Amino acid sequence: MTKDKTSVKTGVNVESSKYYTNRELSWIQFNERVLSEAEDEANPLLERVKFLSISASNLDEFFMVRVASLKDMINAGYKKPDIAGMTASKQLQAVLKKLHDFTENQYAVYNDRLLPLLEENGINICDIAELGGKELDFAERYFDEVVFPVLTPMAVDTSRPFPLIRNKTLNIGALLKKKEGNDDVDFATVQVPDVLPRLLHIPGSEENKYGKYIFLENLIMHNVDKLYLNYDVIASAPYRVERNADLSIDEDEAEDLLKEIEKQIKKRQWGQAIRLEVSTGMDEKLLKLIAEKLDVEDNEIFSVNGPLDLTFLMKLYKIEGFDHLKEHGYKPPSAVPAFIGEKNIFHVISKGDVLMHHPYQTFENVVKFVEEAAVDPGVLAIKQTLYRVSGNSPIIAALAKAADNGKQVTVLVELKARFDEENNIVWAKMLEKAGCHVIYGLVGLKTHCKITLVVRKEEDGIKRYVHLATGNYNDSTAKQYTDIGIFTCAPAFGEDATAVFNMLSGYSEPLGWNKLSLAPLWLKDRIIDLIRREKEHALKNEPARIVAKMNAICHKEVITELYLASCAGVKIDLIVRGICCLKTGIKDVSENITVRSIVGNFLEHSRIFCFENGGNREIYASSADWMPRNLERRVEILFPIENDELKKKVWHILDLELRDTEKAHIMNDKGEYVKPVISEDEEKINSQKILCDEAYEEARTFNDRNTRIFIPETNPNIKA
Amino acid sequence: MTSEVFAAIDVGSYEMSLKIFELSMKNGVRELDHVRHRMDIGSETYATGRISSYHVDEMIRILSEYKKIMKEYGVTHYQAYGTSAIRETKDIAIVRDLIENRTGIHIDVLSNSEQRFIDYKSIALKYDQFEEIISKPTAIADIGGGSIQISLFEKDTLVVTQNLMTGVLRLHTTMEQVHASRLKYAELVTELINSRLSVFSKMHLKDKKVENLIIIDDYVSPVLQKVGLGTEREGYATSEEYRKFFKKAYKKSDLEVAKKLNIPEENVPLFHVAGVLVKCILDVTKAENLWAPGITLCDGIAYEYAEKKNYIKSPHDFEQDIIACAQNISKRYMGSRSRRETLQKIALTIFDSTKKLHGLKDRERLLLQIATILHDCGKYISLVYLGDCSYNIIMSTEIIGLSHVERAIVANVVRFNHEKFEYYSSDCRFFDGLSREDYLTIAKLTAIIRAANGLDRTHKQKFKDVTAQLQERELVINVDTTADITLEKGLFTNRAEFFEEVFGVKPVIRQKKMLL
Repeated sequence: MTKDKTSVKTGVNVESSKYYTNRELSWIQFNERVLSEAEDEANPLLERVKFLSISASNLDEFFMVRVASLKDMINAGYKKPDIAGMTASKQLQAVLKKLHDFTENQYAVYNDRLLPLLEENGINICDIAELGGKELDFAERYFDEVVFPVLTPMAVDTSRPFPLIRNKTLNIGALLKKKEGNDDVDFATVQVPDVLPRLLHIPGSEENKYGKYIFLENLIMHNVDKLYLNYDVIASAPYRVERNADLSIDEDEAEDLLKEIEKQIKKRQWGQAIRLEVSTGMDEKLLKLIAEKLDVEDNEIFSVNGPLDLTFLMKLYKIEGFDHLKEHGYKPPSAVPAFIGEKNIFHVISKGDVLMHHPYQTFENVVKFVEEAAVDPGVLAIKQTLYRVSGNSPIIAALAKAADNGKQVTVLVELKARFDEENNIVWAKMLEKAGCHVIYGLVGLKTHCKITLVVRKEEDGIKRYVHLATGNYNDSTAKQYTDIGIFTCAPAFGEDATAVFNMLSGYSEPLGWNKLSLAPLWLKDRIIDLIRREKEHALKNEPARIVAKMNAICHKEVITELYLASCAGVKIDLIVRGICCLKTGIKDVSENITVRSIVGNFLEHSRIFCFENGGNREIYASSADWMPRNLERRVEILFPIENDELKKKVWHILDLELRDTEKAHIMNDKGEYVKPVISEDEEKINSQKILCDEAYEEARTFNDRNTRIFIPETNPNIKA
Repeated sequence: MTSEVFAAIDVGSYEMSLKIFELSMKNGVRELDHVRHRMDIGSETYATGRISSYHVDEMIRILSEYKKIMKEYGVTHYQAYGTSAIRETKDIAIVRDLIENRTGIHIDVLSNSEQRFIDYKSIALKYDQFEEIISKPTAIADIGGGSIQISLFEKDTLVVTQNLMTGVLRLHTTMEQVHASRLKYAELVTELINSRLSVFSKMHLKDKKVENLIIIDDYVSPVLQKVGLGTEREGYATSEEYRKFFKKAYKKSDLEVAKKLNIPEENVPLFHVAGVLVKCILDVTKAENLWAPGITLCDGIAYEYAEKKNYIKSPHDFEQDIIACAQNISKRYMGSRSRRETLQKIALTIFDSTKKLHGLKDRERLLLQIATILHDCGKYISLVYLGDCSYNIIMSTEIIGLSHVERAIVANVVRFNHEKFEYYSSDCRFFDGLSREDYLTIAKLTAIIRAANGLDRTHKQKFKDVTAQLQERELVINVDTTADITLEKGLFTNRAEFFEEVFGVKPVIRQKKMLL
């Protein structure tokens, strides 16, 4: 076995754990890149605020899922080392150490860089102590009228146990002493109500037209005496707790998947505490008491110099009147030329495959595809997978309408989409009511592929229209995530799409596939075969190169194959936004591999794989990252882009991103990500911006060409 | 209507499958969807003769879903067939009724010979290859869950067909009973199969030469379709290539085989059984080439429907195969060829000229024809009990393409040609399972064959040219012969009585003396 994984040329065993990075640590690097966008002075101020907020909400999720799972492993006595040879406890130690540094950086950015700039620009976030008379009156009145009625203070004593502090809520703990009576110190806590805005805007006056902002917890603490009338408040401070939230549902045992997940959602609040956030300078005794009750270790306590929970910054980003502090350099989604001026979407697709690149190009055609199918008299059936849908999704409405119109509608609603379960159950029930046939996918496998099939009866028989994509059917994220999708009515794709839905409905797999490769059964092998084929080409001195773009790569077998291919001389360029367990530039292992990450205005989300194949280039797109969960525990699709024109377009995306100088970070030999260094006279390239401009240009020139009126030449011999 | 969407459902022993087809004049038969659901009812019914309520529920659930899928394509017609597992279920009438009430899907039960005939018809969907292959001596092995059917072709007509109870699932169940170890598995399966095959070989193969083997099955065929074994053509392999390939596959673990050949791991054991089976058939037939067209019963069902609705026309005459098959049976029991040909000619002449009277269709004409071919097969055993012996031979011989009921009709017609006619109300055991309509068909065909037989009483084939005409209350049979027919004329009245009873018309012989 080991012999297989040793490079023929270099004799190095590329499976050794020293050639791999731990995925959690790699993820932290990714979040550092997000944070670096908050530091980047080239970004408009509110965009920087947004990036800081994103880094904070990313971190929340990371704690709830990844850190929690490390703790689960430790609790379960799981000793197996990871891809980088680290045990769970070793990982947890390293991760927490990194995260303490990271949090410190976040607050340094907040306090030292953003706060002063915000104030300069009229957004003044201040302490309640800094308010003047009138302003304070306003705040007090707000407290009495709005805040106080919704507060529920809870005291803890021998007869009242420590209450459940809910996941991700902000609370204020206090040490109390009875005004009369003995010297015993009591503890009380009150949740900062999440129904009220975190920031209170104090209206401006003549000398300060923008007004000021104070934190809700600040206001409550200021009035804490009003909560505990018979007590003296010795100390009070805000704290926030995060709990284990990773759902590990045992599907074999769950009789009814739906019910089980509903149960799990309720449970989530009860998970083990994994992080306690407090402000620096908190009363020692109070901190000790809370930490003890929540059963958190010292390294799980994060003392921060500033407001807890920076996700409030997203709200700040959205406040009105500061549009000039936001990014406007990126054009809104442009029209897709193929659809311009065309009434019937099916006619367009019949003319040839259509490629779309969101958000540079609009997502509306995908919505229209379902909407038109819902009312088209020829359409017999619509089938679609839904993973995460937007609130008030037009796609859901169209599907319901289609069912109402007597179409056979089959919708796969993935209930196991993390953090979206609650939302998805609601949709599922609604669709069922509308008469759709709702299926919930396969036990033990998340359905992550994005595919829509429309069966239409036309003059010359049944015809199938297929949409395949790398991103979810979510019209709101489609404005933020970069994804590609294609429309096709090629019979080979239609047959495969039909087979996909048959499989998802629980029927036997087809006897063979025409074009698509599916996880968990075939996809991993397919990718490995494709990598090996490049290796063979390289060994025969034929053109061999791999360019692959994805969100994360941490599948050991796949990385090992990439190392072997690199050893054989295959040039490999990876564009990986997030986790990357592969290391570059190791002598005799990965000298031919480069890794870059693009973190920019849009969230890079498409997965595109290009194989040079001895000069006969093949390009694929997929819903799957090269991670074990995608390749082994999910239903995913890999589809080829075959049309030469479309291949050129997709290659252009990869090529441009490989040349990005503005938003790219390149992994160096030490495993650190650094921005590319370019000389003065070199062109600066922001790939996302250029793609926006190009899409805009393409739509505009197409429009011009088609709206201009041409005057026919007349016969010169005929005189008027 | 230039096209229509048709659904074929096969309720098989280990799988329920649905195929959706688009049928059109322009494109013939085009497959749109193929849905399969694995469900092993075979093991249960082969052992107990019943389908458990658990499986009935599952069948109802799946058929309801199939109905939804049919709607998705706007299916206008469907045909659902149950095969051996359903056939061997004792309470099948109740199960079928239950299923029909709950799902609205009516399942017809196919007799083995009908099923094989449909399978065999489906090969003709790949007509060009089919014609090319059967121009040489060819065997078709149709491997099912419960049994296999081996048919032989000579000069592009079917000559022999034989059913052997060595289906894949049945073999597998047997092997599980003897707890065969993996090492010995192939050996034991071979032994089991060969014991059956040797009988077939002695009876039918003798010194016949077989060049090609066509296989229809669910395990080896898909693999052969996918993996090109040296040859460029899909599904083709030489016997040598197949043996090598199979030997290699057998050495690998189930998991490896599943991965390598892209088949579900749970199918691998059955794949091995089917593989051994094919190898044994290759051994016994000594065929040099193998072709797996990769078709299924559903394809055949669609073919049959498309043919009926005139979407396609097959250049291959399948009726001729049924007739050839009957002739072969007659030959085996030493029937006289000239005699059956004369009888056939007279009987068909009467049939054709009395269409208005009997109102029977082409299919019944075929049954009459087969009855004439087999009319004297019983004499091989006994000249005294000719009728009963013929009946028994026909009932226990498979005539490919005929349903069980059709075979019973033929057997009864042949029997009543010799024996006293029984009436439906007499509770005669020969009418078991036959409806009133079937009984009437028997009566009509018997009347015709009796009349025809009467004309050839002396078995001397005295009548060269026979025509028949309806004239008021008489059926005038003109015979053109110079021979003396006193005997025929004298005895004819006897035979004609039954004809008159059935049709209300009296047949009379009129002799036209040929002018020399």
